[in-house]
Amino acid sequence: MNVINEVRVGLATLAALRSKMPHAILEERWQTDAQVTVTVKLDALPEAVRILYFEHDGWLSTMVGNDERSLNGHYALYYVLSMEGAEKCHIVIHALVPADSLEFPSVTPKIPAAVWYEREVRDMFGLHPVGLPDERRLVLPDDWPDGLYPLRKDSMDYRFRPEPTTDTETYQFVNDSKVETTVVPLGPLHVTSDEPGHFRLFVDGEDIIDADYRMFYVHRGMEKLAETRMGYNEVTFLADRVCGICGYAHSVAYASSIENALGIVVPERGQAIRAILLEIERLHSHLLNLGLVCHFSGFDSGFMQFFRVREKAMTLAETLTGARKTYGLNLIGGVRRDILAEQKGATVKLVRELRADTERLVDMLVSTANFPGRVTGVGRLDPAIARAHSPVGPTVRGSGHARDTRADHAFSGYKLLSTPVHAETGCDILSRTLVRIAEIYDSVDIIEKLLDVAPPGPIITEDFAYRPHRFALGFTEAPRGEDMHWSMTGDNQKLYRWRCRASTYNNWPVLRHMLRGNTVSDAPLIVGSIDPCYSCTDRVTLVDVRKERSVTVPYKEIERYGRERTHSPLK
Amino acid sequence: MLKLLKEIFRTGEATHKYPFAPIEVAKDFRGKPEHDAAQCIACAACAIACPANAITIETDLAAGTRTWEIMFGRCIFCGRCEEVCPTAAIKLSPDFELAVGRKEDLIQSAVFDLAECPSCRRYFAPAKEVAYATEILAEAVSSPEIRADIRRHVATCPECKRKADVEQLVRAGLGRNVEVQR
Repeated sequence: MNVINEVRVGLATLAALRSKMPHAILEERWQTDAQVTVTVKLDALPEAVRILYFEHDGWLSTMVGNDERSLNGHYALYYVLSMEGAEKCHIVIHALVPADSLEFPSVTPKIPAAVWYEREVRDMFGLHPVGLPDERRLVLPDDWPDGLYPLRKDSMDYRFRPEPTTDTETYQFVNDSKVETTVVPLGPLHVTSDEPGHFRLFVDGEDIIDADYRMFYVHRGMEKLAETRMGYNEVTFLADRVCGICGYAHSVAYASSIENALGIVVPERGQAIRAILLEIERLHSHLLNLGLVCHFSGFDSGFMQFFRVREKAMTLAETLTGARKTYGLNLIGGVRRDILAEQKGATVKLVRELRADTERLVDMLVSTANFPGRVTGVGRLDPAIARAHSPVGPTVRGSGHARDTRADHAFSGYKLLSTPVHAETGCDILSRTLVRIAEIYDSVDIIEKLLDVAPPGPIITEDFAYRPHRFALGFTEAPRGEDMHWSMTGDNQKLYRWRCRASTYNNWPVLRHMLRGNTVSDAPLIVGSIDPCYSCTDRVTLVDVRKERSVTVPYKEIERYGRERTHSPLK
Repeated sequence: MLKLLKEIFRTGEATHKYPFAPIEVAKDFRGKPEHDAAQCIACAACAIACPANAITIETDLAAGTRTWEIMFGRCIFCGRCEEVCPTAAIKLSPDFELAVGRKEDLIQSAVFDLAECPSCRRYFAPAKEVAYATEILAEAVSSPEIRADIRRHVATCPECKRKADVEQLVRAGLGRNVEVQR
């Protein structure tokens, strides 16, 4: 049984939705006190999402496609809205898509934030969003055979990868500039790059007119893997490995999605430990980004200093988890390692040192003469564009929207305290950096506070049984923003569906708007300011819209130009 | 600039001499799993729990052996094997220097004998696991006859056990009663 003893949050919003669309709502199912799935008629889907999004301060957190033909004969779509108005809760708009027509009305024309999700569900399930303005592939490679949809239950063995159907790249990069341009197709994979991704900057002289990018060259098929061959507990370790930096956030999000689905109550101490480890992860991630900001603005000594201090966060992780990364600590129901008195003492000592060190370095960074000039007003993310695209984390907080999952939908140990939210209104790289700096100090405070208030007691519960076809959301605020997981249990001790959405997924679509109007030498800094896994942007094609020519510049060269700002690669 | 210089002088040397001098790891560090074959009963609990499939079990019914194997190249050092092991046969050590020149050197394995079922003479489970289960169950009772019963029972393969059960049911005439009630 799900524990529903408190007052449900979201009733007024739902009542408002019902009064607007009295005949569209078919069913409502509550997963937790603040999480409800509302089934609507397929035709009403875009309007229902729009009402929640624009009239009730909803933000699109994720969209889940699911092949439920074996359960009810249909495909299902779940649009997850994070309601951040008067009633802070999650409302999931759910609609069934007929398995014969495979069509559903696209939400993207009303809410631009849905574009990547609908492109992905088109790739993965073969569902057709009618009215979707951008019908290019998103996740599947361009040489993937038509009509093979990996996440359909009957489509393929997870070990099987079909032969490429073509040797040529067929992806069309979008350029909104008015002048005709030449586009040079370029193989996206390169032996020397860590993670492939392809950027095209459309430039006029030094100015970026537009930008487009192609990602997912290294899609790892984790969702399919989890659904086909891993048990519930094993997936927590797979979730760790979604990201090399903020993996623990994914692990917690996944574990809590199952816990929410089955109504498992994690002991408070276990929840506090999860929050402490999440904050340690944030410390090391934010310090890494501050180091990179130094590096991209040509201040390498600062980069070294930040990385030296970051080492303290790694030591913290090693002390508390037994590994330099906060990996492998979660199971469904709690955590695997307690924090002992001796470790608590060491942790408090280390975070205090770390705070003092960071204060000195930040002081040094902002008083470095050319730093503020280099980042102020650069990479502007307009608040209205942010509102339309639902970005997350410091990226959205730097544009004046104070949204933070830790405060809006307190989970794990964050229920034991109130988390401050920092937002800056500069909308530029400086603002995003200042948000991160403020959050480092917050993390230190949160760790100290949680070590104090964490009640004694068990850290894990095993008092539950898995039941089939239960589903719920799990979420965390990772260093880069909200991570959103949606899980449905299966009837064979495996997940029926696991949908994992990393924070940067929501931040990529706005990057295009941040790049426009800046110069080529700002590009690395701007990309760095959303703090993606940086090697994703291994090379850049520059297309000069006036001279109608394009140059491909190795990523290192663009980076060098951003730092030194001499010898333009365009000349 | 001055602040940076001050910070640099304040820090002094930030690097370690590693690998020319050993480096210390935290207490309870999760490093290379050490397997104690003498303690292991080849029950395969670790192979089931291992999220990365680093530990695998291969049972050869013809040869009467079960091979336990760990591939350190796949290991993610989570320590689930240590957690689920009933006999404490695998423990994570602080050793993190695992680089080898040849890939095969990353594999460690142990071979265990299977027990033979006394009635059908076929291999069915690791001998050590059968002995382990027998000891636990036999310890729980005091009567020597029941103990002998348990020993015989545990040593028998599941298939023969099922057959014996059915035969016993037939002998007791339960089959007829079931039919009558239906």
